[in-house]
Amino acid sequence: MSLSRRQALGVLGGSALALAGCDGVARGVRRLEHRPARPPRPGQEQDARFLNRFGFGPRPGDVAAIGDKGRGAWLEEQLAPKPEEPLDLQMMVRRLDIEQLGPWDLRDWKREAVLAQMQQKAILMATYSPWQLRERMVDFWTNHFNIYAGKGLAAYRKPLDEREVVRKHALGKFPDMVRASAHSTAMLVFLDQQNSTAAHPNENYARELLELHTLGVHGGYTQKDVMEVARCLTGWDEERGFLRKKGSFVFRPELHDDGEKTVLGHRIPAGGGESDGDRVIEIVTSHPATAKFIAQKLCRYFLGDAGPEAEPDVARAYRETGGDIPSMVRAVAAHSAAVAGPPVVKRPFDYMVSALRAVDAQTDGGAALQKHLAAMGQPLYQWPMPDGFPDKTRAWTGSLLGRWNFAFDLVSGALDRTAVDIGSLLKESALDAAGCVYGMAKGSPALARVRETVAGLSAEESVAVALAAPEFQWR
Amino acid sequence: MEMKHMNPPLPSEGEGLGVRVPADWCRCDGTGGLDERAVWSRRAVMAAGVSWLASRSALAQATFAQDKQDRNVVVVVFLRGGADGLHLVTPYFEDAYYRGRPALATRAPSDRRGGPRCVDLDGRFGLHPTLAPLLPAWADGELGIVHAVGSGDSTHSHFEAMATMERGLTNQSDLASGGWLARHLESQAGTSVPLRAVAWGYTMPESLSGAASATLVETLSDFRLRAPRGDVRERLAHLYQTGGDQLSEAGAQTLGVLQTLEKLDPKEYKPENGADYPKTPTGQAMKEVAFLVRQRVGLEVACLDSGGWDSHVNQAYLDQQMGDLAKTLAALRQDLGREMSRVTVVVQSEFGRRVEENSGLGTDHGAGGVFFAMGGGVAGGKVYGDWPGIGPDQRTGPGDLRITTDYRTVLAEILEKRLGSGAVPDVFPALDSKRLGLFRA
Repeated sequence: MSLSRRQALGVLGGSALALAGCDGVARGVRRLEHRPARPPRPGQEQDARFLNRFGFGPRPGDVAAIGDKGRGAWLEEQLAPKPEEPLDLQMMVRRLDIEQLGPWDLRDWKREAVLAQMQQKAILMATYSPWQLRERMVDFWTNHFNIYAGKGLAAYRKPLDEREVVRKHALGKFPDMVRASAHSTAMLVFLDQQNSTAAHPNENYARELLELHTLGVHGGYTQKDVMEVARCLTGWDEERGFLRKKGSFVFRPELHDDGEKTVLGHRIPAGGGESDGDRVIEIVTSHPATAKFIAQKLCRYFLGDAGPEAEPDVARAYRETGGDIPSMVRAVAAHSAAVAGPPVVKRPFDYMVSALRAVDAQTDGGAALQKHLAAMGQPLYQWPMPDGFPDKTRAWTGSLLGRWNFAFDLVSGALDRTAVDIGSLLKESALDAAGCVYGMAKGSPALARVRETVAGLSAEESVAVALAAPEFQWR
Repeated sequence: MEMKHMNPPLPSEGEGLGVRVPADWCRCDGTGGLDERAVWSRRAVMAAGVSWLASRSALAQATFAQDKQDRNVVVVVFLRGGADGLHLVTPYFEDAYYRGRPALATRAPSDRRGGPRCVDLDGRFGLHPTLAPLLPAWADGELGIVHAVGSGDSTHSHFEAMATMERGLTNQSDLASGGWLARHLESQAGTSVPLRAVAWGYTMPESLSGAASATLVETLSDFRLRAPRGDVRERLAHLYQTGGDQLSEAGAQTLGVLQTLEKLDPKEYKPENGADYPKTPTGQAMKEVAFLVRQRVGLEVACLDSGGWDSHVNQAYLDQQMGDLAKTLAALRQDLGREMSRVTVVVQSEFGRRVEENSGLGTDHGAGGVFFAMGGGVAGGKVYGDWPGIGPDQRTGPGDLRITTDYRTVLAEILEKRLGSGAVPDVFPALDSKRLGLFRA
């Protein structure tokens, strides 16, 4: 993130407010600029849906804005995010220790504190960054390259992984991201790579690299390939030496198996050293099974049950561009199912962030929200398996109670360091509760059911019920 | 608590429906201040109760028209990550075991050298010493073990292997919808009550996926709706009871469970006979299973997870997992006493681990593993299954314990003998009729 000249000037003017937000009776994020929120026009339901799918749902005014520029232009803008973030967001995120310190320095902190700050950053960025598509992709890749922060020292390594693997490459080239992930000590520690030696290669990371990160379980590799990849990666380790940057990547030639290997039919000659691993990444990321597998996952993430329809186009985009992520996303968004297909269930993180955005909540993303995320079934960075939080509807049908409780707590002001002002929200947006929550014009037929149900309730109660309704659980 | 009546009594203050009513719910000063919360008024609670009850639909009525029979209960404990069967139940008569595991092996019961010794079960197999809390059940013939058990999945992938097992298949290309427990529940239509199938955890286990009657809880004690007042709940209930989507059905189910639980008090449950459940997620979940068993609310299937069994490195940490598992099972048995006659616990894992240890003092993904079955209906005190041997030429794949018992035969027998199911062919299509005789009707 870099400050523009105007924002830098804004720092001076707004610093008193921002500091109060940091240290005082925290009042959550403060908006320095007031954005007049124009209501959506009738017939903009598909625009609202697009924002729910390719971002974390509209904030007041967002639907009208995308209507002005068109979905195509919005997408192109989002595919090339600028480094600038709103000043208030920068202030909140930059002061987090996990942003300032490397794995070698974080070790003095409690694991819980690191975990809390990581979750805080995720909530703040998804809620307030204008680069909504990038945040969506961060969510997708965080789960694709899932790392369980509860294992070993992974929690201390994960903040760097979040910046240098996930965030950096979220809209980059897929092979670059795989390479970065293979050098991420958070990943290596999580999947036991640090114990892999020539005498006894450990297959854990090698297997998930093929099964979960690239080819997919039906991608045509064998147990023998797993073992050969494990041999190629022996010696890929993390620094542990005295006065060294502990937790950074290091290759240890003395632990590496330097014999000849064969991976997926490719001969890797003896004596390759560290380059064996690089060669493996080249082989698997240029494999057609990887194009298919990544396309399949991306399509399911964005389009749910309609995913398979768009899969061939997206896989082709991967093959033709060498895994260029924006090209794949463009292919997903171009499919008719992007705005007209069956709905996709929101995972709890989706649900929470879209609710915060819908009611323009001010929050610090702290403990109160994190506790709710856990109660809803998605404590961030704590999915213990390497496959990431599930994306099937069935996995989430049991988490409704937690969502309802969140909606009620959010609107009633029961969340510490999170605030909403429903009265002003409805007044400024010139919408009723249902319209405001869903980003749809007054009288939108899609909201008839919710609207009739909340009739007669107070504004706050109406908003809470609209957020808790079945309709708001889908994107 | 007995529930003979068709309609629940009206709640009195501070109990029953337990609706928390803030005095001034709508006043929001924009700072997130907390000072106005949670003020109780008898009138508000009464009012909430009355309108909530008045709104009860046919679905909610069914909640209370439940059978009070002593229904049999199956508790499925899934050890996530591939538990090392050879470590849990050691074939101490096998030289190959000691050759393959110079650092990790548990010594034979009679071996007087240092290091942990297993506890003899039958002259061939020994229980890991951390599993000793299970010995009383073994001695009473209420604990059975199946060794070299598993599925036909050969991917060595946790996810494929778990999905295969939880969906009740032999491999992932089989066609059958949803989980095996869901298929069982759906095959016994017309007997549904809100708490018939409960899973403890963050996400619904695959074995219950597709079961409309399944409920997911983190803990029963925290399963409470913090809606402001009865009228608002009523609107919410209306939206879920009239919605046509997949979540609406689940939401209506959740509302039914909430009504049932509001009449119970899981937090205050005191285990009997001095049973002490471990203060771990698995231990505390099991305590809530016991609570539901005793409450006779119609529980038939309970699913618990135990994580952390993927022991690639420094396998010694498994001592803690095994201790937790054994103490949890032992506490359930001690707590329930004679009620254990209608409870069957089955402990399973997606696969076992390789015969030979790796360089990291751990073991890698294997094939055959071990299942446990505990309860009054178990023909226990015996290690079931044909032992295939673990010599180098007896192994399968990259050095795994060969599978001689199809895990489905164990689960099918539970359904037949313990849950009285006549629909096993619907649950496990194409499964032959061979059974181990591990359970009694």
